[in-house]
Amino acid sequence: MTQSNTVEEIVSKPYKYGFITEIETEKIPKGLNEDVIRLISAKKNEPNFLLEFRLRAYEQWLKMKEPDWSGLNYSKVDYQDLVYYAAPKQDIKKKSLDEVDPKLLETFEKLGIPLSEQKRLSNVAVDAVFDSVSIATTYKEKLAEHGVIFCSISEAISEYPDLIEKYIGTVVPINDNFFAALNSAVFSDGSFVYIPKGVECPMELSSYFRINSGDTGQFERTLIIAEESSSVSYLEGCTAPMFDTNTLHAAVVELVALDNASIKYSTVQNWYAGNEEGVGGIYNFVTKRGECRGNRSKISWSQVETGSAITWKYPSCVLQGDNSIGEFYSIALTNNCQKADTGTKMIHIGKNTKSKIVSKGISAGQSKNSYRGLVSISPNAEGSRNYSQCDSMLIGDKASANTYPYIQSKQPQSNIEHEASTCRISEDQLFYLQSRGIDFEESVSMLISGFCSDVFNELPLEFASEADKLLALKLEGSVG
Amino acid sequence: MKSSTICKEWLDSLPPTQGYLKNEQSIGREFLLEKGMPSKKDEAWRLSNFNKLNSFLSLPTIIDSEDIKSEFKSIFPEKDENRERIIINPNKNPILNINLPNGIEKLSNREIEENLGQIVKSTNIKNDISVCLNQLTSLELLALKVKRNFNHSLEIVIPSIEEKSISTRIFLLIEEGAKLDLLQIFIGNNNSAQNHLIEIKLESKVELTHGLISLGEEKDSSSICTLAVEQSEKSKYSLHSIHHGWDYARFEPRIIQSKGEASTMIKGLQVTKSKEQIATHSLIRFEGPNGKLDQLQKAVASEHSHCIFNGSIEVPQKAQKTEASQLSRNLLLSKRARIDTKPELEIVADDVRCTHGATVSQLQDEELFYLLSRGIDNKHANSLLLKGYYDEVISSFPKSAKKWNFIEKLIQDIKK
Amino acid sequence: MISSTSETILSIEDLHATVEDQEILHGVNLVVKEGEIHAIMGRNGSGKSTLSKVIAGHPSYKVLSGSIQFKGKDILELEPEERARIGIFLGFQYPVEIPGVSNLEFLRVATNSRRKELLKSELDTFEFEDLVKERLKIVEMDPAFLERSVNEGFSGGEKKRNEILQMALLEPIISILDETDSGLDIDALRIVASGINKLSQPNSATILITHYQRLLNEITPDFVHIMADGKIIKTGNKELAIDLEKSGYDFIDKDTKEKEMAK
Repeated sequence: MTQSNTVEEIVSKPYKYGFITEIETEKIPKGLNEDVIRLISAKKNEPNFLLEFRLRAYEQWLKMKEPDWSGLNYSKVDYQDLVYYAAPKQDIKKKSLDEVDPKLLETFEKLGIPLSEQKRLSNVAVDAVFDSVSIATTYKEKLAEHGVIFCSISEAISEYPDLIEKYIGTVVPINDNFFAALNSAVFSDGSFVYIPKGVECPMELSSYFRINSGDTGQFERTLIIAEESSSVSYLEGCTAPMFDTNTLHAAVVELVALDNASIKYSTVQNWYAGNEEGVGGIYNFVTKRGECRGNRSKISWSQVETGSAITWKYPSCVLQGDNSIGEFYSIALTNNCQKADTGTKMIHIGKNTKSKIVSKGISAGQSKNSYRGLVSISPNAEGSRNYSQCDSMLIGDKASANTYPYIQSKQPQSNIEHEASTCRISEDQLFYLQSRGIDFEESVSMLISGFCSDVFNELPLEFASEADKLLALKLEGSVG
Repeated sequence: MKSSTICKEWLDSLPPTQGYLKNEQSIGREFLLEKGMPSKKDEAWRLSNFNKLNSFLSLPTIIDSEDIKSEFKSIFPEKDENRERIIINPNKNPILNINLPNGIEKLSNREIEENLGQIVKSTNIKNDISVCLNQLTSLELLALKVKRNFNHSLEIVIPSIEEKSISTRIFLLIEEGAKLDLLQIFIGNNNSAQNHLIEIKLESKVELTHGLISLGEEKDSSSICTLAVEQSEKSKYSLHSIHHGWDYARFEPRIIQSKGEASTMIKGLQVTKSKEQIATHSLIRFEGPNGKLDQLQKAVASEHSHCIFNGSIEVPQKAQKTEASQLSRNLLLSKRARIDTKPELEIVADDVRCTHGATVSQLQDEELFYLLSRGIDNKHANSLLLKGYYDEVISSFPKSAKKWNFIEKLIQDIKK
Repeated sequence: MISSTSETILSIEDLHATVEDQEILHGVNLVVKEGEIHAIMGRNGSGKSTLSKVIAGHPSYKVLSGSIQFKGKDILELEPEERARIGIFLGFQYPVEIPGVSNLEFLRVATNSRRKELLKSELDTFEFEDLVKERLKIVEMDPAFLERSVNEGFSGGEKKRNEILQMALLEPIISILDETDSGLDIDALRIVASGINKLSQPNSATILITHYQRLLNEITPDFVHIMADGKIIKTGNKELAIDLEKSGYDFIDKDTKEKEMAK
């Protein structure tokens, strides 16, 4: 198949965020035990309730077994050989950006996330997280005028402990799964968003996560609360340098939407994926869940997953409130030896709840790309509806695409519809584009973008072109 | 039934088998001792009602020859003129009435030795407990060969015995170019259990139309049936199955297209009421290029019942140009009923066309309203719509199958 | 429009080509000069469409022997997109639908790649919109089609108009229109034909591949070729098409037989 060979060449491109920032870092010793947890908590000056939360989680974690259910073999992580806290050496968090180590600012600028006042993105507020800590958050003052809180979770823990205590661990309980328990015990930083009643957040909020140290696990924790009749659009981006070892990233994201509130959460994940032989790369084992607690509330996940050696990720919606809406739009592109097992859970509990799932998987090389999802309609969820569409595109004859949609219904007055298809880049479509003078690479890229267009349309405007670029970058060949 | 002592006790209570099945029994025994009974942790058994499975296993398996009463025959509908009927009393005096037509004969010892168990083995399922249970309990084997280039109709009827558990093992070898129209009928009885293991080998250019009517009918009847089919190139296999009226039933069709280049059609229907649970776990694997699959699974769950469908399709690298479609359509008719459906597609070949879909819904209100507005009463309107819903599966059965009156049975006990 | 000094645009010599290991073209010869309109007629399976795909460079069609020269240059080694850029345009019999790819974006990228070849400046989104709106008039197409995915959900006639729109934008030197008339009603046929007429230039040429005379009532060909069994077996003027319409293809069979007999 000469065609697919060339297509394969196109989808293989060097990782361009693989550089390491030379910066003095404060790290605590490797290993995990109660003392380490106390140390992390102490470093962050945490209130007692949080230390207890961490210790409870640790206790649970010790009792849990690392999952191996999805048939993805990977070299197991040695949890005693990881550093659980690493931070660039600088004094306590700076009030102004001028005081942040210029090397850090440079790093983020190199990643396309300028933070300085002159260069920062207009209309997007950014929280930049480097290894275990948040370095800077832009536009804080402007957001504060609207009552919106957007800061690192460490800051929120000291400034707004009541909100944290009220909500943390209520969407993803500490014993939810192995990695969520681990995160709850050792999480270092992450973002916190609070949108007060009736407020429509005036700008896009964005967190940018950067792993720099090779032996540091990244355990960020994000909590977003949208009060009644508020709305917010949040996006996160991730990159990491190239290391031969596997770095663990086990984040927890919790979203709470109250009556009439709406949260849109978008991710562009481009962690280092390992080399062509599958050496190195990030293990991306993430728990993301949103609860539509209020009536008519809405949570919408969109993700573009192109990085990581292994991804396990199922951003889910618990649709408790009547008439609430859950959405999941996903593009997962895997190449070489990458493995992605991703999908969503839509749990319909309230009446007339609706959910929509659109998943596009593209697998190249020897990668394994699986959609795994659950749609569950409980007996009280009268009038509920789900529509799911899962399409896979295969590039080359060694890549695999699997689809495992679990469907469970206990409510007759409800409708579930699931459709799935598998295809490859059609020779006829390719020829049609080429016969109009568009070169091969661009034609392939157009067809892949076209395949993903349903999802692109759901990404925030500022972000859609970035995601398209990312995909195009991933597809960039030696030319151009 | 989890603990190994119970397992062992049960194993020891089983009558030992002879001949070819002796080896099979020891394979099953080893398997069960090693793996034990399935649990909620086994993906394939996760949703199974273990109480029902346990009562399935608690029925005695030793049967006296008198148990199959000759009056049985009289309650069966008259057989078609051109269709031979075999009635199986599985444990003793194996075949009550066997009159093999020209071109169908018993398999020779050598052929049995060469083939038995091979197809099931090649389906290769993790924790294959259904097969193991049959290996342990089947005492007799019906092994037939349909000869080259013959065109036949055959009916195999397997009744159940009250308060007893029966097991049957069937092997069919269909030689190159032969055509067979096979109709199998399983009938339940009060507090009875059935366990079937059927292996069918289709040589090249064989056309097999396989109707399977599985009716529980009486109280507390249960059935586990594994059907393993190997299709050679250019063969055509169409399976039409109906499962209805069992308190607990599990049907595992597994079809391997050993060299691809074959076509498979499956149309299955399962209908549950009261507290019944019926599950279909299908597996279709393409071991070569240019295979075709068209699969439609329908289910209707009412009252407190539970319908399960789990459908695997595997398209490995060597199966380029496979075209497979699978559709799972489910009707959920009661608030206390439950539907679980899970298609599973595993694809490693890039030049393939695979689609699957699943829907769960109720009867369409607009359709119902349309009928009501034409003066048809609710009950009739519902049964008309259900009939329409069943039709896609039922219409492809051979005419002679209709004698078994399953259509009426399917409709009469569904009330909206 | 034809003058004796006209330059040769396309010259095909003894072309043999296969698809899926089956030889379809058994030695095609054809010369097309500036300003000419050629019609190629023939039964289904005579090799007409194959010829057009081979000229455009479809990867499934392999050339066994013979040559295709465009303005004196061998093009057999060129990729399909390179052929398009130098001015070879194939109007497809069945334009493929490409869900998700915006028609406007597609047209813009295609137009710019041709312009680049012509050393013209690339058009930005706004400039291109102006151009495309102007060209839409040629095919009387609703601008709403620009917002949709390439050919997706277009009717047969809309697809064909979209093809002619592409021709209008790419300004090719030679246009090969494969059964552009099939599946069109009278009005659509008239619009498409008038579009083709408007677009023809003294320094360009057109090859119409068709089954029927009716397109040739709208566009008058200078030459009519009849293809059978992978060869051009007869060449004439427009009268040949009219004869063909009257007596059907049988007379070719007779003709060929007689020729063979003569041999």
